[in-house]
Amino acid sequence: MFGSLDISASGMIAQRMRMDVLSANIANANTVLNESGQVDPYRRRIPLMAPGNPSAGSAQGRSFGVHLAEVALDQAPPAVREFDPNSPLAYTSGPFKGYVAATNINTTFEQINAMEAMRAYEANLAAAEATKQMAQAALRLLA
Amino acid sequence: MLFDSLTTSGSIPTLEKLYSFTASRHRLISHNIANISTPDFRQADVSVSNFQEQLRDAVARRRAETGGMHGDLTLNETSEVKPAADGRLVLTPTTPSGNILYHDRSNRDLEKLMQDLVENTMTFRVASDLLRSRFELLRAAIAERA
Repeated sequence: MFGSLDISASGMIAQRMRMDVLSANIANANTVLNESGQVDPYRRRIPLMAPGNPSAGSAQGRSFGVHLAEVALDQAPPAVREFDPNSPLAYTSGPFKGYVAATNINTTFEQINAMEAMRAYEANLAAAEATKQMAQAALRLLA
Repeated sequence: MLFDSLTTSGSIPTLEKLYSFTASRHRLISHNIANISTPDFRQADVSVSNFQEQLRDAVARRRAETGGMHGDLTLNETSEVKPAADGRLVLTPTTPSGNILYHDRSNRDLEKLMQDLVENTMTFRVASDLLRSRFELLRAAIAERA
């Protein structure tokens, strides 16, 4: 039964990491320059979960739970804003030459995802609470 | 053995089976909840009514063999519930939840999951409390006082 607590904990960890990714998306909603200052809009990161918990100690533990398998990059083409070749944020080459760059992040979408992550976290928390109550009931048998 | 007949008398074996079943099923439900946002994940559970039937058959067999007041319960193996050598029940979930598939090919159903979680926890507590009262009774008998 204490394995159940690990399962719920893996769920909470995965949802928290998902929340980190979503926060990074929202924080970079207007980031159109890369580290070296070139026009290269930030691509939306997509957290992808998979069943199983590779960090668990036992084989049975590894088959239960959840983990963040991959943070994928959104392959949708980045959006562009107005045509302004003089802007430092405009593309200097490629099909969008002269257009001011923008990211493909929709903050409303990210907020809703964040809300869902929060609810999923709470569901795991409720499961962990139930596990705790069951363990207490089991321990009372010994008292 | 004296102690064997103490711990396999009356309802104790039945409660013990219910106790192991709910403890093992709790793990499955936690797993389904942990994977609430996993794409391609299909929730699976074990059928509670099938387990109840299995338990009823075992109780009926015990009644036929020993008159029902003593003796251990032996559950028949089903495809979902297998009794292990150490007394635990190994569950293989094959009963689908039957919900519609969402766009990420997951059939999550949070309301049903939470309902299952609460029901299972309450069943566990019932088994645990009844088992505890049986042990209290034994303790009172051993101490010769109520």
